[in-house]
Amino acid sequence: MKGWKGLAAGAAALAVAVSGCGTSTNSGSDAETKEITVWLMDGSAPTTLTDALNKEFEDANGIKVKYEVQKWTGIQEKLTTALASSTPPDVIELGNTQTASFAEQGTLADLTADAEQFNGGEWLGGLKDSLTLNGKQFGVPFYAANRTVIYRTDLLEAAGVAKAPTSRDEWIDAIGKLKAANASNPDFQALYLPGQSWYFLLSLIWDEGGDIAKLDNGKWTGTLDTPQAKAGFEAYKALYDASAEKKVPADIDEAKPQQMEVFGTGNVGMMVGLPWELAGAIKAKPELEKTTSAFPIPSKKAGESAPVFLGGSNLAIPASSKNADAAKKYLALLSSKKYQDMLAEGGAVPGTSKDTAKLQTTAIGKAMADSSPNGKVTPVTPKWAAVEAGQNPLKDALTAYLTGAKSLDQATKDASEAITKAMA
Amino acid sequence: MTAVKTTEAAAPAGDLPPALPPAVTGGAPKRRRGGAFDRALPYLLLAPALIAILWLIGWPVVSVFVTSFRQLNLGELVRGEIVWTGFDNYVTVLQDERFWEVALRTVLFTASVVVVSVGAGLGIALLMRVLTPWVRIALQIAMLCAWAMPILASTTVYQWMFDQNYGILNKTLVQLGFDSFAGYSWFSSGTSTLSVVGLLIVWQAIPFLAFSLYAGLVGIPRDLYEAAGIDGATGWQTFRAVTWPEIKSLLMMVTFLSTLWDFKVFTQIWVFREGGPSGESTTLPVLQYLEGIAKSHFGVAAAISVLMMVILGLITFQYLRKLLQTEEGKI
Amino acid sequence: MLKKSAANVAGLVLALFFLFPTYWMLTSALKPKGSTITSDYDLIPFSVTFTNFVTAWTKPGFLSSLGNSLLVTLTAVLAAIVVGITAAVAMSRFAFRGRKSFLLLMLVAQMAPFEALLIPMFLMMRDLQLYEHLSSLVLVYFAVTLPFCAWTLRGFVNGIPIELEEAAMVDGCGRWGAFQKVTLPLLGPGLVATSVFAFITAWNEFLFAKVLIRSQDSETLPVWLSGFQTAFGTDWGGAMAASVLFTVPALVFFLIVQRKMVAGVTAGAVKG
Repeated sequence: MKGWKGLAAGAAALAVAVSGCGTSTNSGSDAETKEITVWLMDGSAPTTLTDALNKEFEDANGIKVKYEVQKWTGIQEKLTTALASSTPPDVIELGNTQTASFAEQGTLADLTADAEQFNGGEWLGGLKDSLTLNGKQFGVPFYAANRTVIYRTDLLEAAGVAKAPTSRDEWIDAIGKLKAANASNPDFQALYLPGQSWYFLLSLIWDEGGDIAKLDNGKWTGTLDTPQAKAGFEAYKALYDASAEKKVPADIDEAKPQQMEVFGTGNVGMMVGLPWELAGAIKAKPELEKTTSAFPIPSKKAGESAPVFLGGSNLAIPASSKNADAAKKYLALLSSKKYQDMLAEGGAVPGTSKDTAKLQTTAIGKAMADSSPNGKVTPVTPKWAAVEAGQNPLKDALTAYLTGAKSLDQATKDASEAITKAMA
Repeated sequence: MTAVKTTEAAAPAGDLPPALPPAVTGGAPKRRRGGAFDRALPYLLLAPALIAILWLIGWPVVSVFVTSFRQLNLGELVRGEIVWTGFDNYVTVLQDERFWEVALRTVLFTASVVVVSVGAGLGIALLMRVLTPWVRIALQIAMLCAWAMPILASTTVYQWMFDQNYGILNKTLVQLGFDSFAGYSWFSSGTSTLSVVGLLIVWQAIPFLAFSLYAGLVGIPRDLYEAAGIDGATGWQTFRAVTWPEIKSLLMMVTFLSTLWDFKVFTQIWVFREGGPSGESTTLPVLQYLEGIAKSHFGVAAAISVLMMVILGLITFQYLRKLLQTEEGKI
Repeated sequence: MLKKSAANVAGLVLALFFLFPTYWMLTSALKPKGSTITSDYDLIPFSVTFTNFVTAWTKPGFLSSLGNSLLVTLTAVLAAIVVGITAAVAMSRFAFRGRKSFLLLMLVAQMAPFEALLIPMFLMMRDLQLYEHLSSLVLVYFAVTLPFCAWTLRGFVNGIPIELEEAAMVDGCGRWGAFQKVTLPLLGPGLVATSVFAFITAWNEFLFAKVLIRSQDSETLPVWLSGFQTAFGTDWGGAMAASVLFTVPALVFFLIVQRKMVAGVTAGAVKG
């Protein structure tokens, strides 16, 4: 391993360190690439896809792929330290809300000139925007997904809910019926909603006509304290309270513990989640496959679906990657129709192909496709990442409001100020 | 008894005690006559340790000061740029009221944890003296279990015990008739979170404190107590007249050590709630991590590190000076 | 007498207070899956199973992080002990120019708040290209434990009468021979005690392990366990079993020290 050898070479490098110079990094290619390191996120691509992709790439190029799956929890810190290192991974997956900030810091390779080999003509608009800075592209769209309400068909039927709710009132009504029908199970959650599911909160805020922040003369200001945004918080609380007597902790998010694990216990009637989360739950409890379905998050206006956070990922090559050429070949292969179709089949909107036919075949894919035209994103600015890094004000506001630690006015006022400050 | 005492004066799991004064019994070293090799030998023996300390402790200390005067974000780091900003980082930190809030919280948290753990440690040490032997051994074994548990293991166990819906604590309180604790969240406010963290730290710190103070108490000559008994002194008077003077310096030392350790606690606070809710359980080490590693403002984080060392130095200054003086005399 | 029994009761209550988390960790780990997360009051387990241990043992990452923790900790402690011993002998057995300053340096180095050196350590490991490699942790843990080891071992060396070494040297042993045959064996208990406490420190360390290591293959056990909710979800039984497995090495080492303490007393008797 290079590290142990590096330890011996440490004394020499120490001279560099003592002189206070960071080692300058050179991007570009290394003729003798033997291995590339690829980081994808938990749940982003089905293993059938990555297995086939890595094998095809290795066979075609004679380069090994060191493939690692990263967890979303704490990813911002991990990416920061990874990109700061002089030997970063060669291909990374970035959340669409994080990409601009990493690009602005000069840590990602400029891929504008190579867009053609990544199927540039068919890029998904929302993702393309998120990786474009000053007219240059710093990544390749990977996939997009949005949350839907995943539910147990058997339990809803047993509770006497005949059809999927199409308005928020109907939804709360259905939750109430589910709760009543399962009153004998003290651990039952009609809607498993952890207190810090802030992407879902965004749906509700947007549905009420509010937003997170607004841009005036180049300056961002938090707008969570507007009446519309507050209505979104109130809607969240109504759903949170309706679920069960035994509250889901207000200070956890959907990843800690993974809500799919909770759903997999069978004690949950509905959850607001992504297709891969349902897939995870089914893996834990295969019989769920036959008894689950999904509907779009209902709007407060009957018959409409609420705006949803268009979650997604981009793929990028760190500027200091030593194997950029090999990494580009890898991305080119991943952008090809074959693998994009596999992504769609796995339940995601593919990033470099406009063909979503494969997606429409499942109930959850259909629910997702139905609501994705209504997709919105967090403010597209490098400054947004500071809001998500470390202590997220949206999560804090939810916890404080739901536990009663702060009044709604106070919680939203504090969160707005924190956002204004973080984006300054 | 030397070995026993040294062993008992060891640290709570996770932290090394400065192995303060083991009695010097070897006598003053003698200067030997000999060849060049003999004269060079001590330096050769010291060289690895000296190089390691200068390289791995000395240099980072210098570096943290240097870095605190640089603007160093991810961009500068990747590009290898050196941008000097003078005192800008310090101005940024010191002007932020959040920093003062966090610094005050850290000092108060440290003070409470130190006072409670040292006080309880002394109490248990005194108690152990009057216990029936088998009770004392049972207590010692129990304390050993707490002490030996790795911090991450104990933190995980505490999270489970304090779990909102299924934790044994809430279930027990409900059984005892406090129904309002059903689904009660112990982590809903900063104060409450820090109290649980504090309890965990105290629980794991007491064994070291109690064991070393007990060793100190056992070392007090019996005839001093007998003399006090003859004079008809009450328990409190005996404590004041006999125990306290004998144990005072040891108590000062363990208080000093506890302060050093408790001030820089990161693991427990981070693992419980990452300094939340709403940043209300954030202490200086957590703030340093958030600024430096999460937000990649390495220069600002270095300034926070320097300020941390300054605050710690101010708190322990008096004792540190005395300690170095006495040690210098002994050496 | 009443006072004494009151004290005994207090002692037992305290023993329970200190023991309970260990008890709870063990019993939760031994409960069958499905009966950990329950609203029933279950202070005493009704049935016992070892499946949680199997779950924890076979979780992805457990074994590799256990191996990494052992590798890093043992390497660092071994290095600190070897370097510490040479420094201890120099400090204790030789008079030389600069001795006093060196002793003070050791004393101060022990108190260095390592957490405050996170940023420079991170930058340094990056520049050395050791970042993300376990050897960076070895270096940090070596540095954290070295001053303590050197200082403590100096105390133990001081405790061995120099006359014994001199006698051995008169008998024809060289300086190295005298050290090997006389000093080292007498130093045994001290070495064990010192290394155990160094071991515990490195075994527990979390902050540097979290920052300096990013690849899952190189994670140490504390970092792996801190993300147990990702690994175990709500499976507290599995998480407790993993905690038990994490505790065992530390507990074993503590018990070794306990036993060696007896040996330490006998060794002290050499002083006469």
